[in-house]
Amino acid sequence: MTATTLLLAAGAIVFVLGVVVTLTVTDLIRRVIALNVASGGVMLILLRLADRGADPDPVPQALVLTGIVVMAAVTGLALTLARRVEGDGDDLEPDEDAAGGAP
Amino acid sequence: MNAWVILDAVLVGAVVLVAAVAVLVRSRAAATSAFLVFGILLALLWARLQAPDVAMAEAALGGGVAGALLADALERRRPPRPVRRRAPVPLILAIAAGAASAAELGPLARDNVADSGVSHPITAVLLNFRSLDTLLEIAVVVIAAVGAGAIARERVQPERGIDPIRRALASILIPILLLLSGWILAAGSTQPGGAFQAGAVLAAALIIGHLCGVPFTTPRGRGGAALAGIGVLCFVVLGVVGPATGGVWLQLDPAWAGAAILAVEAVLTIGIAVALAMISLAAGSRDASRRDDASRGATP
Repeated sequence: MTATTLLLAAGAIVFVLGVVVTLTVTDLIRRVIALNVASGGVMLILLRLADRGADPDPVPQALVLTGIVVMAAVTGLALTLARRVEGDGDDLEPDEDAAGGAP
Repeated sequence: MNAWVILDAVLVGAVVLVAAVAVLVRSRAAATSAFLVFGILLALLWARLQAPDVAMAEAALGGGVAGALLADALERRRPPRPVRRRAPVPLILAIAAGAASAAELGPLARDNVADSGVSHPITAVLLNFRSLDTLLEIAVVVIAAVGAGAIARERVQPERGIDPIRRALASILIPILLLLSGWILAAGSTQPGGAFQAGAVLAAALIIGHLCGVPFTTPRGRGGAALAGIGVLCFVVLGVVGPATGGVWLQLDPAWAGAAILAVEAVLTIGIAVALAMISLAAGSRDASRRDDASRGATP
């Protein structure tokens, strides 16, 4: 039982760390990383709860599998947005509207 | 206390430590590196928690595709400037709500696997018992792919002028990845594997093919969007079969459920792979003058 508690606590710590940093950090890339870390904490809790009996519970595992795919898509979209917000790194002026602004 | 307990304790400690490093360290490069390690450790931990399907998906997607995206984003080493804050709380709440609603369905799912058409319980949940979740998930991925393509500043173009070494690399890697993807897909009916993992591997093959200038591996434009959306379309068609034959939405007859699941998984694999590759290429797309930079860090 201590192993279960340990894993649930670890999942909670990782989740809280990720959420707090997601909400407080201003660097967009670090924010995306923090969101991914937070989702890792959620997955840890779900999978620990799935692994209680002799056979693991397939329903939370399927949920986590779905979550991983969605997080990968969210990460890609978020990074594309971050890239658009920050510009391509060539221009020092942050360009907000960025219409066709290839250097 | 045996060796496994010690391994688990070390693993969990490392996960928490690396997670803390990944979110707290200031440098983007350090945070990304720590996140890559975090993904690998999570995959190990999922394997220890009797979730090999999730471990495969984590290794391919959480650590692989997401890691490649982040490594690619690192190239832009701008000093971060303050931006307006926007909270992604709804997403996390949605995940938590999903967790709460799945409390006691496990035994029910395991007891009815025989009627699902496949013998692997996770595939049965994903593509039969809770196929609505999977349908919506594929829709999310397709919307993200179309959105990323719309947001990206440059259109993705096939790579040109590739050196022979990269061509040789592609000719070795891509057949292996295609074979692996097909096997993971077919294995999903009876053992860990399935459309998501196969799709992630196929996406890796497409991205490598794009970076190495292999023809027809750059999903873009309407053709790419159509290929990405075909999984959703097939899933909806499969869902309508139930009502058409007097059943309910997304109901599969045990007589043909196995074949239907494998067929829709094959289409989903292509859809997921194209969508993920589109997202990756949109997030990492460069214009012509920076094309060489695009090859860095996009190898899951």
